[in-house]
Amino acid sequence: MNILLVLIPVTSLIVGVGVWLFFWAVNHQQFDDLDSPASVPLLDDQPEPAPLTEPPKHNPTDPS
Amino acid sequence: MNGYAAWAHPQLAAQVLRPRRDGCSEIALRVESLNDARQVLWLEQRIRALAGVRRVAIDRPAQRVRVVWDAQRTTLPALLESFAAACCPAQPLQRDSIDDARAQEQHQALKHLLVAGMCSMQVMTYAFVIYVGVVDFVDFSTRSLFRWLGLLTTLPVVFYSAQPFFAGTVRELRERRLGINLPVALAVLLVFLASMFNTLRGSGEIYFDSVTMFVFLLLGGRYVELRSRHRSGALGDAAIDAAPLLAQRRRADGELETVPAIALLPGDRVHIAEGSAVPADGVLESAGVQVDEALLSGESRPVRRARGERLVAGSVLLSGPAELRVEHSGASTTAARLDALATRARRARSLIAPSDREIGRFVARVLVLTVLTALGWLLVDPSRAFEAAVAVLVVACPCSFALARPAALTRALGVLAARGVLVTSGKALYALARVDYALFDKTGTLGVPQLDRRGVEPLRGDTPEQVLQLAAALAHESSHPLARALADAARQQALPRQAQSVRVSAGGGICGEVDGRALRLGRADFALAPSGRAVSVGIADALVLADADGAIAAFRLAEQPRVEARRLLDALRADGVAVAIASGDHANRVDALADRLDVADRYARQSPDDKLARLQASHAEGRVTLAVGDGSNDAPVLAGADVSAALASGTELAQSHADLLLLDGHLGSLADARAIARQLQQVTRRGRRWSLWYNLAAVPFAALGLVTPWLAAIGMSLSSLLVVLYALRVGSTEPAAPADVSGPPLRPRELHA
Repeated sequence: MNILLVLIPVTSLIVGVGVWLFFWAVNHQQFDDLDSPASVPLLDDQPEPAPLTEPPKHNPTDPS
Repeated sequence: MNGYAAWAHPQLAAQVLRPRRDGCSEIALRVESLNDARQVLWLEQRIRALAGVRRVAIDRPAQRVRVVWDAQRTTLPALLESFAAACCPAQPLQRDSIDDARAQEQHQALKHLLVAGMCSMQVMTYAFVIYVGVVDFVDFSTRSLFRWLGLLTTLPVVFYSAQPFFAGTVRELRERRLGINLPVALAVLLVFLASMFNTLRGSGEIYFDSVTMFVFLLLGGRYVELRSRHRSGALGDAAIDAAPLLAQRRRADGELETVPAIALLPGDRVHIAEGSAVPADGVLESAGVQVDEALLSGESRPVRRARGERLVAGSVLLSGPAELRVEHSGASTTAARLDALATRARRARSLIAPSDREIGRFVARVLVLTVLTALGWLLVDPSRAFEAAVAVLVVACPCSFALARPAALTRALGVLAARGVLVTSGKALYALARVDYALFDKTGTLGVPQLDRRGVEPLRGDTPEQVLQLAAALAHESSHPLARALADAARQQALPRQAQSVRVSAGGGICGEVDGRALRLGRADFALAPSGRAVSVGIADALVLADADGAIAAFRLAEQPRVEARRLLDALRADGVAVAIASGDHANRVDALADRLDVADRYARQSPDDKLARLQASHAEGRVTLAVGDGSNDAPVLAGADVSAALASGTELAQSHADLLLLDGHLGSLADARAIARQLQQVTRRGRRWSLWYNLAAVPFAALGLVTPWLAAIGMSLSSLLVVLYALRVGSTEPAAPADVSGPPLRPRELHA
């Protein structure tokens, strides 16, 4: 039963590390948007400064 | 495309930027065209690539983007231009919209949930060892070790994860009411203390596994509810942002331009039409007017303001147009007042908080039942009293009962906001479900008036253009739908002239001076009143322009029913609602539209008082009444109905006192709202009934000691979760109406093509 004396601290450590990692992730907004990242693999062409020929859509509230 | 340059002005920037301690600035932007996930990512990457940008957070349901960046390296106009270049034009929102509360609340809830989950799993393994040990090989000292381990692992659950329950209990007790947090906190604390006591003593039952699981499952249910509440809130925000308060600013050359109210600067001259809201604090530069400051001071009587006096932002102009010189616009107090609508809509959301008396009574009964169970068992078998009492306390906790209503209501508000219906009073939805009499306004509500050239009939030999120009000068000053149709028609041909000393009389028309000539525009009897002539039959049903000598021209506006009017009326009639049209218009015109829409119950030549009397008569018959109007022109009628709905767009939104606002002329959404209101009522009732039956069925078993605390914890958490998930059905069975009408999404590939 002495193995318990090793295993219990080990599991507690794992739980501790798990909680710490999770807190880090929450604090760094990793859980804020759960929808968009799912389509990252589908984003086939690397975005770059697009050669825009069309003007931006008209915005009626534009302060112009 | 340098429309964003104005935002470089420090005073404007101060209204939208929030300085941060690290020297960066933070801004909230409204971006409309966030249709698919790929575009969101693409936009995020582009903005992040700009110099000095630290953080980009995109909230899709709320259509908001928050950027934290170094304004020294990229200016605000440059940032806005980058958004426009990415085909996602952005509109800065007021500084107050930068709101961390929601994200923080969610982060906290996630952390509480995870700690409870991790610890409960640990405690479960320890408890398992103990269960096994009772039977078999684990010796006594090892058993004691595991009890201590259980105690240690439960500590974070009770003192960290269960915090929301304790905080809620303290709040409820401070407000001197019994809420659902009390039984939960009591159960957690009692079970934990008893188990700790038994651990210290070294004998007796321990329930650490039950406590942790109870907290974990309950937090899980609350997290689901929180997510759905936040989503609804975000959808509501998007709907509110979509209707910013606009202002008519006079440019240096005297022309009017439309700008958002937050873009006004001190010294700007603003034109305010009759019936619209004052966009900023300022000094009145034209003749005296009447204003309604009810939204600000609660004073419902109109107030007179003379030339040179101050007008306060957010008040509504009741008479005549006004010219205003803006004094200050930057003060955040003013900015906050402007958004009376936003505040009202948010208040409706916060009213959802369950403060029912019913729940208080329920909790009181649960507590009494728990004490009775404990006393009963103390007489019969004291060793089982504690377990049975805790089981009753947990099983009978009215969590699911209390959640049924707010969960369904938040969901309904979110679904409606996505379909263009803004609810400003939470009770309105419950009344809408019971409505059986609907009174519609005609012009601007069921029908859209339009003027074409054939409708202009000069009576004294002028050209149609001339009379149209004269009439438009007056019509321009009113927000009535007929006046607006006339002004629209004139705008296509020539610029309207300026009208002076304009007066608007409700239900009659407009009078004023154009080029020194006193003119009246409106109903025939109103327009011809000063000339003393009788109204001839030919022009009785037309809009008449007249001067002191008699009629100058008649305008016959064709009225087309709105696209969705038919669908709405059919849906209401199929639902057993009596439909009526009451209009201030001439009988011929009311008949024409009512015939096309098959409405038999129609009333012409109605003053607002007549309409109100009609509503009150129906109400006295025991009917639940709904009034639908265009917001600004029939406020008393709308206020007199059990539920009111107003078709509104842009500026009028802020001042319409209706319970339901149908944005951008989505008349058909009212049918959806009615369907959802009924569904809401049904879901709430059913959810409450379920949880009541569950409690009634489970309590006897618990009181007899047949339910262990862990089983009670599972049962009660599952019942809450079920009710919350059931509430998500609201609005999901409807045929999905197109939520956005902004057109097909732009995809990155198309942008390259």
